[in-house]
Amino acid sequence: MSGGIRLLPALALLIGISAAAALLWTLIAPGLLAPEVSGYDAARMRLLHSTLPRLATALIAGFALSLAGALLQQVLRNPLASPTTLGVSAGAHLALAVAMLFFPVLLGLGRDVVALVGAGLAAALVMALGARRGFSPLTLVLSGLVIGLWSGALAAVLIYLNDRRMVSLFIWGAGSLATQSWEAPLALLWKTGLLALACGFLLRPLTLLELGDEEASALGLKLGRTRFLALALAVGLSALVTSAVGVIGFIGLVAPLLARLLGARRVPALLLSSGLIGALLLLTTDALLQIVAGMFSDLLPTGAVTAIFGSPLLLLLLSRLKIRREAFVRAPPAPPRRGDLRTGFALLCAALAVLLVLALFLGRETGGGWSFGAEMLSLRAPRVFSALAAGAMLAVSGLLLQRLTGNEMASPEVLGVSSGATLGLALGVFLLATPGFAAQLGFAGLGAFAVLAAILISTRRSALAPERVLLVGIALSALVDALVGLMAATGDPRALTILRWMSGSTYGAEASGAALLCGAAVVLILPALLARRWLDLLPLGPETASALGIPVRSARLRLFALAGALSATATLGLGPLSFVGLMAPHLARELGFSRAASQTAAAALTGAGLMVAADWIGRTVVFPWQIPAGLTAALLGAPFLILLLFRRGRT
Amino acid sequence: MSFDPSSLTRRALLAAAPAAGLLGLAPALAQGAPRVVSLDYGLSSTLLGLGAPPVGISELAGWSEWVVEPAMPPGVAELGISSEPNLEVLARLKPDLILATSWLDAQIPRLERFAPVLRLETFIWTGTPILEAAISATRAVAARIGREVEAEALLDRMEEVFAESRARLAGRARKSAALIHFWDSRHVRISADPSLFNDVLLRIGVRNAWPESTGPWGFQTLPVEELSRISDPEALLLVFEPVPKDVFRTLDRSPLWRALPIAQPGRIRPLPPVLLFGMVNEAMRFARLVTEAMEAEA
Repeated sequence: MSGGIRLLPALALLIGISAAAALLWTLIAPGLLAPEVSGYDAARMRLLHSTLPRLATALIAGFALSLAGALLQQVLRNPLASPTTLGVSAGAHLALAVAMLFFPVLLGLGRDVVALVGAGLAAALVMALGARRGFSPLTLVLSGLVIGLWSGALAAVLIYLNDRRMVSLFIWGAGSLATQSWEAPLALLWKTGLLALACGFLLRPLTLLELGDEEASALGLKLGRTRFLALALAVGLSALVTSAVGVIGFIGLVAPLLARLLGARRVPALLLSSGLIGALLLLTTDALLQIVAGMFSDLLPTGAVTAIFGSPLLLLLLSRLKIRREAFVRAPPAPPRRGDLRTGFALLCAALAVLLVLALFLGRETGGGWSFGAEMLSLRAPRVFSALAAGAMLAVSGLLLQRLTGNEMASPEVLGVSSGATLGLALGVFLLATPGFAAQLGFAGLGAFAVLAAILISTRRSALAPERVLLVGIALSALVDALVGLMAATGDPRALTILRWMSGSTYGAEASGAALLCGAAVVLILPALLARRWLDLLPLGPETASALGIPVRSARLRLFALAGALSATATLGLGPLSFVGLMAPHLARELGFSRAASQTAAAALTGAGLMVAADWIGRTVVFPWQIPAGLTAALLGAPFLILLLFRRGRT
Repeated sequence: MSFDPSSLTRRALLAAAPAAGLLGLAPALAQGAPRVVSLDYGLSSTLLGLGAPPVGISELAGWSEWVVEPAMPPGVAELGISSEPNLEVLARLKPDLILATSWLDAQIPRLERFAPVLRLETFIWTGTPILEAAISATRAVAARIGREVEAEALLDRMEEVFAESRARLAGRARKSAALIHFWDSRHVRISADPSLFNDVLLRIGVRNAWPESTGPWGFQTLPVEELSRISDPEALLLVFEPVPKDVFRTLDRSPLWRALPIAQPGRIRPLPPVLLFGMVNEAMRFARLVTEAMEAEA
């Protein structure tokens, strides 16, 4: 690296620091320059006990999160690792939300502990999933973002079901740095300070780690212990910040990246400069926000805003990231189960039939008892059949994406099409205040297809490299999450409409809509069945597939478009949060259906069954209240899916 | 099915009232009283105020926590969350009329299959002051279920409550107040113009100490330190209950809060919960509670 290359970043840093200084002055000046007032001096009090401690909080939180990000990136050798991208902050947030709603006693014991447990669990889960692919950067980030989005969405829906308490939880989820005394920053300072000092002991081991695993262990380094300690410190730092101020998105990703761009190479320099840059970055952002918020006089949570600026940065980063193809070499498919596949299909169909009968005829009485009968058929049928169609479509969409990318964490929820639909709906709600059903569907559809088009265009140059498509989708999902959080934190009741839709309820299903969805399912699943040769051969890699006579580029383009259409249609009917698209293909393979055609059919049946079951459970368990089907499916399905992935990992 | 409250003039209503009232008092008709389902707390409470309890309401479970009074009589069916009332329960209730707000516009076509829907604008700012909108909505509901006399009685009672509050507060030195609700120890919701609360304050001769108007919902979420923008030295700080447990514990250690003029011990008064998006009953409850709070010795 020559000095000339670093000139530009250095200049940028200088400009950044000057901008920060100017912003700070704008904030502080009114308090400093205000004439002496006898009695209560509002300007000075605000400066001393609100503005300054808030800026201190920004510095400390920014430093801690960026240090955590740098540690994670260093130890995982992954430029995309950070508290946000690995789901650590979201895990802490979910734990705090659950504790607040269901076990308020736990919060009394200490928010820090609750946040640590949540962050630790999320991190452990991500690491365990990542370990199965030798900690490949993309698998880690995929698992992390899936778990992060799942936690965020789950926290959001929990809040929706407790809507009258929602604002306080949302402010926290969106990360507000507001404070009215020095108490919070000082507490955060000594806690994170201790952890930051502990990082000092890891400098030498981490430097050794740079040499590569063999060299490092030859020099006497205990690899496992070093990695564990570094991860634990990073998780601890992020959990402390989250429990104090909420989720601050993407600072921990961006700051280490800037440090590297500025030329920091050695471990001590990298950790320290990341921390300092992060502190400066969050300080500047927050100062700017305070000035802007002063003009609009409304709450702008800092964490959501950093996420809104951070996720496009993730997109930019993606284009520079060199993705190692070998990370995606597929594990050999599970050997087909002995025995007749026809028996398997018969069993699946029978199970679906039983579920359909239950869902259509078995319900609850107003008094609470159960009743079996056709009395409510006209009310239940549209919901049951739209759940069925949406489940089948999501499942097939997930299967297409998993086969196209060779990545088992791929799914329409992850692709970002669902997020696009959510964003479209949010736009509709804000433009029209109370849009009717048709308008909601229209806006959601527009958003879904806009994202699809954006993904196809932005990845055209990389020949639709599957891993890029997925990461683009994830960055978009994070963006949507932040926007909805921002809206909800201001207490705007319109946020409820969006949350309701995100929770994946079949409530709005009409007979005509259900029929349309079923028709769409048939029309869109059929081509997937017909494309079985492509789907069998594409996972073998582009070279092999091409040698076997498959037009790789156009095949991929068409299959992606098909997957997008499937998930957009299903999302319109069922919201973005079911995770059925992720689960059903795995279940189908576990049941022994490994060839493309049979797996497609089995996944469709499984997905349909899962959604019908989820819808029925959601309608009956807390009757007359109802849990949205998408949420039920995610709640029941996610732990199950994680078990499944672990089991497959061991064999 | 939509209904435009502005098309009803007071005179037309008064002219119709005696006849309807006579009919409404006839026991035969009382027995055949319309079975009404209400999907909004404010409208449900208005039905109670008109002496016509609903057969089912949404979010019955939270009634005693968020609305408090008037008490919901036993035997009313629970319909679950307001935004997605349980249609199976609705079908079994066989209502004659469903009351909904513009908030449920997306569901109204679906609801109309079970009974005619009366859609009312009660809490969103559309140019009419919120209290006036609540009054027209009350009359609209009453006209629909033949309870015009009761409606006028309810509205008269409201005027009396306002007049009494106004008289009681007239002699007091402190006649302005800020209304806050603590989200957590760092953030508050402040009620301002245009809101039901603001309109009631105007009627009982109390000035809202928060100087700014807010968006269409009548409240703003702010960090606590923004309360220093309240400059009126006479203003009281009315704090809606329930306050999260750790709020005052944390704030009492904050020099900013301790020095904040409006947060001085003599100026803070607790205010029992009042439904934020309420109607006439809530306006009366609010007027009474504010009067009591402002009269209370700190």
